[in-house]
Amino acid sequence: MNDTFTQISNAVYEGRAKDMPGLTNGALAAGLTPQEILDRGLTQGMQLIGKDFKEGKRFIPELLLAARAMQASLNILRPLFVQTGVKMAGKVVIGTVKGDLHDIGKTLVGMMLEGAGFEVIDLGKDVAPEQFVEAVKHEKPNIVALSALLTTTMQSMGRTIELLKEAGLREQVRVMIGGAPVTSDFACQINADAYGSSAPDAVEIAKKFARVS
Amino acid sequence: MRVNYRTNATVQFEILTEDQREEIFHAALDVLEHTGVEVHNQTALGILKAQGAWVEGARARIPSYLVRRALATAPSSLKVHSRENDTQKDIVIGPCRVHYGPGPTCVNMIDPRSGERRKYLRKDAADVARTCDALPNIDFVESLGTISDVTPDLADVYEFAEMIANTVKPIVAWSYTLDTCRDIYQIAVAIAGGEERLKQRPNYIFYAEPLSPLVATSEAADKLVFCAQHSIPLVYTPCPMCGGTAPATSAGILVSALCESLHGLVISQAIHSGAPFVMGGVVSIMDMRYSILAYGAPELSLQSAALTEMGRHIGLPVWSTAGCTDSKLMDEQAAIEGAISILFAGLSGADLVHDVGYMEAGTTGSLQMTTMDDEIISYVKRLLRGIEVTPETLASNVIQQVGPGGQFLATDHTLEHFKNEFWFPRLMDRMRWQDWRANGGLSMPDRVQRSLDEILRDHRPVPLQSNVQEQIDAILANAEARYSVRTTHA
Repeated sequence: MNDTFTQISNAVYEGRAKDMPGLTNGALAAGLTPQEILDRGLTQGMQLIGKDFKEGKRFIPELLLAARAMQASLNILRPLFVQTGVKMAGKVVIGTVKGDLHDIGKTLVGMMLEGAGFEVIDLGKDVAPEQFVEAVKHEKPNIVALSALLTTTMQSMGRTIELLKEAGLREQVRVMIGGAPVTSDFACQINADAYGSSAPDAVEIAKKFARVS
Repeated sequence: MRVNYRTNATVQFEILTEDQREEIFHAALDVLEHTGVEVHNQTALGILKAQGAWVEGARARIPSYLVRRALATAPSSLKVHSRENDTQKDIVIGPCRVHYGPGPTCVNMIDPRSGERRKYLRKDAADVARTCDALPNIDFVESLGTISDVTPDLADVYEFAEMIANTVKPIVAWSYTLDTCRDIYQIAVAIAGGEERLKQRPNYIFYAEPLSPLVATSEAADKLVFCAQHSIPLVYTPCPMCGGTAPATSAGILVSALCESLHGLVISQAIHSGAPFVMGGVVSIMDMRYSILAYGAPELSLQSAALTEMGRHIGLPVWSTAGCTDSKLMDEQAAIEGAISILFAGLSGADLVHDVGYMEAGTTGSLQMTTMDDEIISYVKRLLRGIEVTPETLASNVIQQVGPGGQFLATDHTLEHFKNEFWFPRLMDRMRWQDWRANGGLSMPDRVQRSLDEILRDHRPVPLQSNVQEQIDAILANAEARYSVRTTHA
């Protein structure tokens, strides 16, 4: 049993997405539960690489490869989660705001959140406030994450929060914002719940939100 | 007399061979033709289609003959004039004439007097322009930050207005949208004394930025089209980072960066043959630990210099990057990264070298850094001048006259040459320890601050003529009115 979890964890750490379906199906066939596979295999692998990343032994591309490997396994497990009542760490709707096409930071945050066990709905770029509101209505996330690289498009973050309030959805979600020109002052100004200064920071914030909600 | 004799007039520097440059250029032509670019702008897309590009949806594939045609008409030299007919301050862009200046849009500013790290304010644009006006080795002006205490959507116009009032050196402007691009143009027209006059004697350069990889955003394309229509010298260059928005390899980022400028060139020349166009960019790596575009990385200097060689290879002026750091302090890291990048950019012969004064990977602007960089540029210019070998400089007859055991101090030869041959530091210190101690034991940052304090206290730029200032104020007021109409109707 331990060996299977170690194999899965290693495969995640090493970013071997191709091996995940085989390992995942094998684990299920051997009677392991989706929850166990998630916690002791997938999350374990991500935590190990997360630790090494913090210490400068592993780098962003390797982290993303690991997250992708985890996703390959989750694609098989997700339908079973519903059946067996497994809960992901949380659900995040993320996007780059209206007028802005810069998305590498947002993509990085999204993948790191997935690696941390969150379900991430990525709305892409140039996302209007109305689209965020629709997504919140439809997906019922606990977190909304907004990204912008331009000081002008930052304004759309405020409008998105306003629109969520008008739609009566503001209380249901925590809003975090990020991007090069964004600051914690600005987050206060527009009544966002948090400002993330980097992708790892965003993950810590999301985890904090998940613990409280 | 000596025959078949070659001399070096200056230091020679080369990263790529001719064959390598050809390879890179052909790879870029290939990418433009087979991958193409995404153009989020109907006007620009229409122009490309009319030229002969293959357009499917927003994707435009540009056959190589269109690029060659555009290169044939694009100027490889141009002049940008000082607002005050001061030819000393004109920028003459021609092969390998290096010009340095700061960069725009940092979020924060190091207060030039107190050293406090704070938000960038309107008064900073004035101080930056005035300081650049005074610094002997800064040739063009950018603001170092985005103004946070004016109407947010008009920060770009306010910045231009503040700068143009405080320096006679040419400014490189940027804008959020076509509207404010137009406002800035109107200000430049007012200063030139008319549209035709501005066309013949441009007094500013405009900067627009495609999105890496291979995307012309709607706003960037709008501004590109406007500048081509009005013959405004345009820098249309990307800020890709290896491993993130460009390939992880240096040759790869050269290819993608070339494509990101060249598609703009095709559009520009189609609108107006001969419209001045500058390629280049901020070509660095994505730091894979901290996910920043590393402004202090050696790769930035190496890749910028190689991109400059590519520009020269195809006949376009180049926008390069130097004098910047990832450091948060005016420390050894800032000095190392600033100095090496300034040296490399100088050696490469880039036409316009920007971001002099960028700290914290471009999030914070610092006039202290710009001032220290000014000294470094001066130092580097002495290096670049190289060594002149002539009978006069070989000085065999002087050696003969002085003879073994003699001294050269008071010879005519020394008197005639030392002021020209030697570099004289303005901020570097060469005192002996006792004197240095007696004079306050100042560090380099101390001396930089002292120099900056002096400039801020004493330097008076040539003021704008009063009717021009009135026109600028009217343009700003119109912009405000336009903005408030928009927001009340929103």
